[in-house]
Amino acid sequence: MSTATTPAPAAAAESRRNVARDLFSSDRPYGVLLALIALVVFFSIKSDVFFTSANLQNIGRQTTLVTIMAVGMTFVIIAAEIDLSVASILKLSCVSAALFMNDFSNNWFLGAMVGIAVGAFIGLVNGLLTTKLGIPSFLVTLGMLGVAKGIAFVITDTAPVLVDSRPFWAVFYEGSIAGIPVPILWTIVALIIGGVLLHFSTFGRKVYATGGNATAARYSGINTDRTKILCFVFTGVLAGLASLIFTAQGHAARPDFADGLELDVIAAVILGGTSLFGGRGSIIGTLIGSLIIGVLNNGLVLIGVSSSWQIAVKGFIIILAVALSKRS
Amino acid sequence: MTTAQPLVDLRDITVSFGAVKALRGVSFDLRPGEVHALLGQNGAGKSTLIKVLSGVNQRDGGTVLVHGKETNFKSAQDSRDSGIAMVYQDLSLVPSMSVASNLFLGREPHGGTKLVRNRSIVHAAQKYLTEQGFPIKASARVGALPFAYRQLTEIAKALMGDIRILVLDEPTSALSAGEEEILFKTVADVTKRGVGVIYVTHRLHEVFRISDRVSVLRDGLNVGTHNTSDITMEKLVSEIVGPGHERMAQATLSVEEGDRRSAFRNESSESSTHAPVIELRGVKNARLNGVDLKVRPGEILGLAGMVGSGRTEILETMFGLRRADEGEVLFEGKPVRWGSPNKAIAAGVALVPEDRHEQGLVLADTIAANIAMPRLPQLTRAGAFTKGEANRRAKKAVSDLNVRAPGIHTKLQNLSGGNQQKVVFGKWLTPEPKLLLLDEPSVGVDVGARDEIYGIIRGFARNGCAVVVVSSELVELTLLCDTLAVIHDGRVTTCVHTSEVEGEERLHHLVQEPAR
Repeated sequence: MSTATTPAPAAAAESRRNVARDLFSSDRPYGVLLALIALVVFFSIKSDVFFTSANLQNIGRQTTLVTIMAVGMTFVIIAAEIDLSVASILKLSCVSAALFMNDFSNNWFLGAMVGIAVGAFIGLVNGLLTTKLGIPSFLVTLGMLGVAKGIAFVITDTAPVLVDSRPFWAVFYEGSIAGIPVPILWTIVALIIGGVLLHFSTFGRKVYATGGNATAARYSGINTDRTKILCFVFTGVLAGLASLIFTAQGHAARPDFADGLELDVIAAVILGGTSLFGGRGSIIGTLIGSLIIGVLNNGLVLIGVSSSWQIAVKGFIIILAVALSKRS
Repeated sequence: MTTAQPLVDLRDITVSFGAVKALRGVSFDLRPGEVHALLGQNGAGKSTLIKVLSGVNQRDGGTVLVHGKETNFKSAQDSRDSGIAMVYQDLSLVPSMSVASNLFLGREPHGGTKLVRNRSIVHAAQKYLTEQGFPIKASARVGALPFAYRQLTEIAKALMGDIRILVLDEPTSALSAGEEEILFKTVADVTKRGVGVIYVTHRLHEVFRISDRVSVLRDGLNVGTHNTSDITMEKLVSEIVGPGHERMAQATLSVEEGDRRSAFRNESSESSTHAPVIELRGVKNARLNGVDLKVRPGEILGLAGMVGSGRTEILETMFGLRRADEGEVLFEGKPVRWGSPNKAIAAGVALVPEDRHEQGLVLADTIAANIAMPRLPQLTRAGAFTKGEANRRAKKAVSDLNVRAPGIHTKLQNLSGGNQQKVVFGKWLTPEPKLLLLDEPSVGVDVGARDEIYGIIRGFARNGCAVVVVSSELVELTLLCDTLAVIHDGRVTTCVHTSEVEGEERLHHLVQEPAR
C-alpha cells in the first residue's frame, strides 16, 4: 500500500474539508436547510413584517427555549435514548429557583444555580433509572413528565411565583450585549458548548459509539451507562437554563406553562437529521430544526393563520420536512 | 425399509457459484422413517445441498426426485408445497407471542368474520401438540421458554401440514446436554410416523446416537454413505478430513507455514522461560467449571471445542465481561478482578469478538472513528478528542493491515467482510496489546483476506503479544497455534503442543471424545 498518495496542497484542502465535515458531522441536513430557506422565502413574500431585523430577533427569542433544550436532546437521541420530561423539568426548575429566591435568599445567582441543579438532578434520576434498572427511557421520562410537573404544582399551589430581581431579569432576558438580546446569546452559548462537546470532545465520540452500537462500544471499553447518564444530566442542565430564561421573560415562574414543549424539542432534533435510532446527528442540524419550528410559530401568526390551524399546519410541515430530508 | 420408495432422491447434483464448484455431483437419498445424518467440514457443501432441497439454490445439473416424481424447485414455497420442512439454526419465532399464535402465524383459522379467536387457536394448537407428542403448552409465551422448547416449537411449526421430510440444520448447537435429550426424543417420535429426517451436524456422537444412515461430504463430493451401525468414529473422521489432508497442505502453502514454524522454534526456548501474561487458576463461573490455563508472551494458544463448550466464555472472562466466582485470574503475575472490559483494556488486553457486526464495530461510523473507539482515554487532551492523532493511527492501521477502502473516513457498512475484520484488528494496533483474544477470527472472510489475517495474528505474536484463538476450524488452529487446549463442558480436558498432534484427524478425535 502506498501511503504518500496525497500531495501537500490536496492534504490542506482535505483538512479544510474535514473541518466542514466536523461542523456538519457525517449526516448533512441539506434537505432540511432547503426546507428552512423555502419557509423563510415564503413568509417573506406573504408578509412585509417577516423579514425585518426586529422580527428576526423575535424569532430568535421565541425559539430560545426550544433550541437550548434541543441541544441536550440531541445528545440523548444520538445515544439512542429519549427524554419526554424536558418541559416538566423546565417547570420544576423554574418554580424551585423562584421559590428559593423568594423564601431563602434574594441572591439571584444562587437562585439560578438552584434551578440548574434541580434540572441536573432530575436528569441524573432519569439516567440512573434507564441504565441501572434497565427501564426504557421512553417509560422513565414519561413517568418523570408527570412526577416533575405534579411536584411543581404542589409546591406552588398551581399559582405563578413572582420573581422581583432586576439583575435576574437582565441576565436572562432583558439585557443585551452589542445589540444582541441575551436570550439569543444564551442560545449561542448552548449551541457552542453542545457543538464542541459533541463534535470535538472524547465524550462526543462515546455518545456516537454508544448510540451506534452499544455492545461494540462496551467491548471497546466505553462505559455506555455513564455516557447515557451524562447525556440525561446535560439535558437536565440545559432545561434548567431554559427555565431561567422563561422565568426572566415573564418576571414569574409559571408551573402551568410550556405543556407539550417537549414535542417541539424532539421535532426540532429529528428535523435536524438526528436519527431516532441513535448513532447519527449534529448540532448544526438541531439548530436548523429549531429554526424551522421557530419560523413556523412566528410566520403562521404573521400571515394570519388561526391558532387552531397553526397546530395542524405545523404538524403537516414537520412531516413534509422529514420526508424531504429522507429523499435527499 | 430398503424396499420403500425414497422420500427424496438426489442424483448427481452439481451447483456452481461463479467459478467455484460447491457441489460436484452429489447423490443422496432419504427413506421414510429414517434419520439420515449429513456430515462434513465447513465449506464441504452441506448447506448448498440443503439449499437445493429447500429451493433456495438452483442446481446446475442432476435430478431431484421427491416422492418418486422429478421436481424442479424455483422457490422455498415450492419446496414446502412438496412436503419438505426446514428448521434452521436461527429461529424464526416471534418471542413475544404464545406458542399457539406462532404455530398459526399467517394462517390463523377464523370463522365467518375476519376476527382471530385466541381461545380456539390455543385449543387447536394444544390438540395438535398433544397428538404429535410435543411436550409444550400452547398458551406459553415463546420468549419465556427454555431454548430447547423454542426449538421444539420451531419443529412443531415446521411439521404442521402434510410434511414428510424434515431437515434439521445443527439443531443442538445451542442446547445443553439435558435439552438435547428432549430434542432426540422428539426426532425419534417423528420418524415413527414415517417422516424422514435429514440431520446436519458437527457432533459425531449424535450421529451414533440417533441416525440410521450417515453421509459424509468433502469438497463438494459425497465420499461415503453408510449404515450407522456398520461404521466407526475413526472411519468417519478420516472421511471428513480426507486423505493426505489436502486442505491442510493447500493452506500451508498459502500462509508460508514453514516461515512461522522456524520463527517459533527460535523463540520457543526463550518464550517458555517468560512469565505468563495471563494465567487462570481453577476459574469457575456460570459457564466455566474450573479452568486452568496460561499464555506466555509470543505464544499462540488455540482453544478447540464444540460450540457451547465454554471456549468463548474463557475469552470473555479474560476480557472482564465475566467475573471468576471461584479461582484466580492473574495478569502479569498479579491477581486481577476486572468487572468490565475497560479495566482489561487499560491493562493491555484486546478482544476481536465473534460477531463483528454486533460486538466489534459501529457499522454506521467511519474507519477512523471505529479505530479510535477502544483508545479514547489516550486520544484525549484536556477533554478534547485529538482527531489528528486518531487519523494518523487510522491511516497506519489501514496501510499496515492492507484494508482496501477509499479512505479512513469510509463508513464500515461499505466495506467487505474481510476488510471489516481487518478494521476490528486495527482497533488494537496502536499501542499493541499484551494479550490478544480472538474469537473465530476468520469467520465470514474470503480466502485471500483470511491468509492476510493469519499474517496479522502472527505479527502480533512475533512482537511479543500473547494470543488466544477460539476457532471451529481445526485446520486453522493447527496452522496458527503453538499450543492447543481442548475445551469441554467448561473445562480444559487436554493441553498439547501443536507439533505433538499428528494432523488434523487426531485433533478431531480430541474434540469429539474429550473424555479420553
